[in-house]
Amino acid sequence: MTQNNTVRILAIAPTARGFGYAVMEGSRRLIAFSNKSILRNKNERTLVWVAKLIRRYEPAVMVLPAVNAADTRRAKRIKQLQQQLAVLATQHKLKVKLITATKVREQLLGQIKGNKQSQAEMLAGLFPIELAPRLPPKRKVWKSEDPRMDIFDAAGLAVAFWPK
Amino acid sequence: MKSLPNYLQAQRKRLALSQEEVGFLLGLNGMNKGNKVCRDETFAREPSLLDALAYEVIYGHPVSELFAGLHQQAQQRVAERAKVLSFRNVRNADPRRKQSIIQLAESASLNPNNP
Repeated sequence: MTQNNTVRILAIAPTARGFGYAVMEGSRRLIAFSNKSILRNKNERTLVWVAKLIRRYEPAVMVLPAVNAADTRRAKRIKQLQQQLAVLATQHKLKVKLITATKVREQLLGQIKGNKQSQAEMLAGLFPIELAPRLPPKRKVWKSEDPRMDIFDAAGLAVAFWPK
Repeated sequence: MKSLPNYLQAQRKRLALSQEEVGFLLGLNGMNKGNKVCRDETFAREPSLLDALAYEVIYGHPVSELFAGLHQQAQQRVAERAKVLSFRNVRNADPRRKQSIIQLAESASLNPNNP
């Protein structure tokens, strides 16, 4: 797979409430990022949204989380969605790159252990203008995850795509 | 890699401005000025020359950078036409004319962003 600095990539992070996405051109240029909450028919509507993003940004590669990897436990719906996204990418003639959670941590934190908050803080440091204002506060144990974290999941995948 | 038609959204997010605020700065009227900015950002509308120059002022980047894809497209089209022009014979033509046409014809192939 070509991983030169002139490839546009679309990273999709499917989550329980919808998905986050990040578009990058080269390892230092974050073009677009956001999260989308989807209430009903989550997989179908996610595919519609992602098809729209593919048409808009015309990426060469779609980066997805490796949901079947040994270091990951994901819901059955997310596993199905990942397969459907891979098929969608192939239909649009995109290359698909699967990245494990361990690789994302290794790339961002330099070690295989770490939590999502520290990854998000690292990403906010890498992209202070774009991502720092979106950094959610540290999650309290009695609270659910902030929706903004979806953006950081996707941005983490996008950053991990590029060789260090 | 082919550039995107424009990079307006990335620049707006860099400045932490809302679409409504950019619409106001562009001098757009009406209740939903953000809609036009949204359509510009999602490539559904090509802004007028005046709006493009206003974007340059707001974001502090040249139009050719903000509208990289469109600039690339225009450059390629001009280069193609310049090639046609270079084949035309003009009697007693100024040597500067020939040189400028050759430069224009070569400009598309010199740009590393062009496919």
